[in-house]
Amino acid sequence: MAPPIATTPPVLQGPSAKEKKYDRQLRLWGANGQQALESSHILLLNSGAGVVGVETLKNLVLPGTGTFTIVDEAVVCEEDLGVNFFLEQSSLGKSRGEECCRLLLELNPEVKGFHIQKTIADFVKRSDLSQYTLIILVAPVGSLDVASEVSQIAWDLRQPLIYVHSVGFYSHTSVQLPPSFPIVDTHPDPPSTQDLRLLQPWSELLAYAKTQTADLEAFSDHDHGHVPWILLLLHYLEKWKESHNGEFSVRDDKKAFREFVGSHARTDNAEGGEENYDEALTAANRALTLPTIPSDLKSLLLEEECQIPRNSSANFWLIVNAISTFIKKHSLLPLPGTVPDMKSQSKDYIALQSLYRQKSQQDISEVTSNVRALEHALNRHIPIPDAEISAFCKNAAFVKLIHGRKLIINPLKHGWNDNSITTIIEHTTTMNFVSGKPSLFPILIALYGFDSAIAAAASVRPESNNLLAAASASPGFFTLMETYIRDVFGKLDSTSEDLDEALQHTLNIAREIQRSGPGELHNISSLTGGMIAQEVIKIITKQYVPVDNCLVFDGIESASAVYRL
Amino acid sequence: MARERSMSQSLGSLSRQLKQLRVLMVGAGGIGCELLKNLVLSGFGEIHVVDLDTIDLSNLNRQFLFRHEHIKKSKAVVAKETASKFNPSVKIEAHHANIKDGHFNVAWFKTFNIVFNALDNLDARRHVNRMCLMADIPLIESGTTGFDGQVQVIRKGKSECYDCQPKPVQKSFPICTIRSTPSQPIHCIVWAKSYLLPEIFGVSEEADMDISENDDNIEEIKKLKEEALALKKIRESLFKDNFAKLIFEKVFKQDIDRLRSIEDMWKSRKPPEALDHDEIAQASAGIDPGVSRQDQTPWSVTQNHAVFVDSIRRLVSRYKIMQGGHTSPVITFDKDDEDTLDFVAAAANLRSSVFDIETKSKFEIKQMAGNIIPAIATTNAMTAGLCVLQAFKVLKGEYHKAKMVFLERSTARVINAEPLHPPNPSCVVCGNASSNVLIDPTRATLGHLVEDVLKQELGYSDDISVLHESAIIYDPDIEDNLSKKFTDLGLKSDSVITIIDDADEDPRVNLSLSINEQTLPEDKQPVILPDKVEVPRKPKQANGIKGPDSLNGNGEQQGEKRKRSASISTEPHSKKQASGKTDDALLVDDSAGGAIVLD
Repeated sequence: MAPPIATTPPVLQGPSAKEKKYDRQLRLWGANGQQALESSHILLLNSGAGVVGVETLKNLVLPGTGTFTIVDEAVVCEEDLGVNFFLEQSSLGKSRGEECCRLLLELNPEVKGFHIQKTIADFVKRSDLSQYTLIILVAPVGSLDVASEVSQIAWDLRQPLIYVHSVGFYSHTSVQLPPSFPIVDTHPDPPSTQDLRLLQPWSELLAYAKTQTADLEAFSDHDHGHVPWILLLLHYLEKWKESHNGEFSVRDDKKAFREFVGSHARTDNAEGGEENYDEALTAANRALTLPTIPSDLKSLLLEEECQIPRNSSANFWLIVNAISTFIKKHSLLPLPGTVPDMKSQSKDYIALQSLYRQKSQQDISEVTSNVRALEHALNRHIPIPDAEISAFCKNAAFVKLIHGRKLIINPLKHGWNDNSITTIIEHTTTMNFVSGKPSLFPILIALYGFDSAIAAAASVRPESNNLLAAASASPGFFTLMETYIRDVFGKLDSTSEDLDEALQHTLNIAREIQRSGPGELHNISSLTGGMIAQEVIKIITKQYVPVDNCLVFDGIESASAVYRL
Repeated sequence: MARERSMSQSLGSLSRQLKQLRVLMVGAGGIGCELLKNLVLSGFGEIHVVDLDTIDLSNLNRQFLFRHEHIKKSKAVVAKETASKFNPSVKIEAHHANIKDGHFNVAWFKTFNIVFNALDNLDARRHVNRMCLMADIPLIESGTTGFDGQVQVIRKGKSECYDCQPKPVQKSFPICTIRSTPSQPIHCIVWAKSYLLPEIFGVSEEADMDISENDDNIEEIKKLKEEALALKKIRESLFKDNFAKLIFEKVFKQDIDRLRSIEDMWKSRKPPEALDHDEIAQASAGIDPGVSRQDQTPWSVTQNHAVFVDSIRRLVSRYKIMQGGHTSPVITFDKDDEDTLDFVAAAANLRSSVFDIETKSKFEIKQMAGNIIPAIATTNAMTAGLCVLQAFKVLKGEYHKAKMVFLERSTARVINAEPLHPPNPSCVVCGNASSNVLIDPTRATLGHLVEDVLKQELGYSDDISVLHESAIIYDPDIEDNLSKKFTDLGLKSDSVITIIDDADEDPRVNLSLSINEQTLPEDKQPVILPDKVEVPRKPKQANGIKGPDSLNGNGEQQGEKRKRSASISTEPHSKKQASGKTDDALLVDDSAGGAIVLD
């Protein structure tokens, strides 16, 4: 046996336990996203069987959401034990919010959780909701007025609100975002992130392409087969223009141009073609488009906060203003500067990469100096970090602005926001073109009917501890749903046959809801809890694009649909 | 019972049926934890959980049946303990074992009504797929990658099996790209992880490398072998003070100078620039090796040098301690092992700077070297929920209503579903015939099977091969095994062998035979087919779809192509495919035929 070593070398500290625990998600939303999650406070206004809200919290506690608060008036009953994983036998008769809170906290010692045993109406009346980052409201609230009140408060506070149903095999998630909700880090798919400026090359790129391809015809087979496709396209664009009065029309010439490029590939070799030419032909469609200013960014530029930034404006708006100045000058966005992989020789590829990188750096510096000038003018003393400006510039084409809308709690009373009757009829009657199945929109109408029926039942027996049990006991429950549904269809004011079919379909869904108890199925609530938590994370981290604004799920067909209402 | 009210009202008669069912769940990880909870609360009667893994800290952000105090314990066992609490009437059996173990045989699979795959690797998925096909039991297959998820219903004869569609080809690199002409960060990372680390602290890969030489690379391959040998020599100085310097000068100076001297190689590439150890060492003298904690930004050359030297120091002292117990200890790369990760990150980055390739942060290198797949609770919750919904269709026998379901990040629809596809007639897995074979272990030889049963009884021609776990144990060129007993070939009860018909004309589909050991009367042959076996002919257009064998072999063709091109890999960004992606192993393959799977 070897003698033990005399001095033990110092143990080097690896990443912290926390970083290790969250490693797999940090690869999706990074340290910034994690920080946002950890400093958030989620409010769950729970009702009904309450499973979907708790399953949502489970998916938020695990990745390390800072704090949550559960408001729930219910006391745990036998039925809860069969559907809610975060209750146990000993929870019977205790506060449901308290028990769920206790068991949820076991999942992650870094998370703080609170519970309040009150009705939603009571809680909302007496509390300051501004301390929460995001509110999740679970239907059926029992009073449509209370639900509307929560929606109004969140709207006034510009706080994101998520409204949820999970009944039998159906679920619904609506997202109420503030009127202006910008996202910089949308994580676009790699193929769509490439802006290569082939139709508007800057002078250095054009000059480089010219020198590199001047003797293209005379190149050896090896060299000819290794010209990067970016240079090929630039080369043949110039050639094309020579024979077409200096013009290339994106709309009309693409097809002929591709044939023109293809005709120059050498085919008298062992492969019978050249990979770089093949790549050029494949890439031509996407690469030969005129760089435009995407509509989301355009509407950002029109926002008042962009046009008249103030000393107290968020960094975001100062950068948008600086980019706006850049666009006014160049009619182009700052160049993102990334080059895709392509067939080429290393040195050519690296040269091309650095050309794009240099141009990108140059654009970013210009935007940065715009920002600095603005900071100076606004008398702001803490400069916006360079990294933030640079990240914004690189993502500029994919910045997304969501115009949040208020929830629709009761369409019969408040209508369908600014959607026209025609749109609603379309939503209701259009078959899913992929599956050939009926639209999922009737599920949403049936759920509104369900809410209304519950509210009616609650108004008769307001003292009942368990609204759902009271509702299912009420013999006229289905009639209440049916009346509401027929009234909604009546307002659609159309005699089309399709609509009549949709009405029957909606009533069948209402029957299915009635048959389910009405209550929650654990599996559907668990799945829906996954969907909701995913949207919550997107909203809190301000990364990726959240659902805008209404997601309906049908567990019988395993299908979902998104509507903008 | 009140606790089951809404379940029984929604599911009707199925709800009573569920209590009688036996369910097998393979894998108790991200999807598995969610699935087990859903199965328990949906009222399934008996659930068997198989997982050979133990719990790791990085599981806790999603695998909610596990807590900090469970780290290093069996996933299957802890999952059972936690989940049992929530429904006392459910029966859960935990198996801390590999699903490929022999006792999980076809007969055992047949005792279940349905099987759920909640796995993280291709190999086990394929195995369970095959077992379910042979046992004729429905399988719900699932997988996730980041925000993407996928659920597939598999039933013999009714739908595509897991192998009906080719799976994405594993990433592979020609040896020369890794050892001589890297052009991307990944080439340098593979070099550090799969060449340098094993050469210094592990088992040399060179020994197993089957390199069929050809004119193009024969010289270079010879040189590379010499280089590896020289490195092995340096290993003798492991405990000397200047060990790190010796390694550094060997791989970043001498080897690079040699490469640079091959002028042909650099005609169309920028030649590499060797690093000067003493100069860099001097500049990095004051650098705290603790810089390796900064994992978000790439390190400078001097910082890389400091981490390189320090990680070697740490690895050497571990090696010394390990030597107490073993004559030749082995330190292998593990993404969660800080010392090996630091070594790989620093070495890869130093090599990148030699070849003027962009350097990467430790965080990025960890993902690339460790094949880390992002995983989150939300996607798992949705995917597991969809698995159960598909299981309901299957258990009601409604295959026409079952779906292939995809979760996608796009918010246009969130969930996409399509009807099940019929089996691919050319699939070499589910297009197989299968049966049992009885052997008398004291007498039976492979020759009995090949001559008496396959050729005589079933009428096969001479052109056949016999495989056991993808190794060929017989073909017309390998006759040595014919005289060997089954037991000497490692074949026993529950082993499965596959017979491939290599005849040019009208070949039959593959035949899988599951072995059953039995003492047979002396007057009977020692190898017997107990059931009537019919092996249909392959469909005519069978060459359209490539089976799994040709899939892995794909590298040959691609490698060939790459070799002719200079060096930049032109592999297109493969389209996302959720479940396949979770399995990517790094594969280094030599374009002339040899291949080494490195993960």
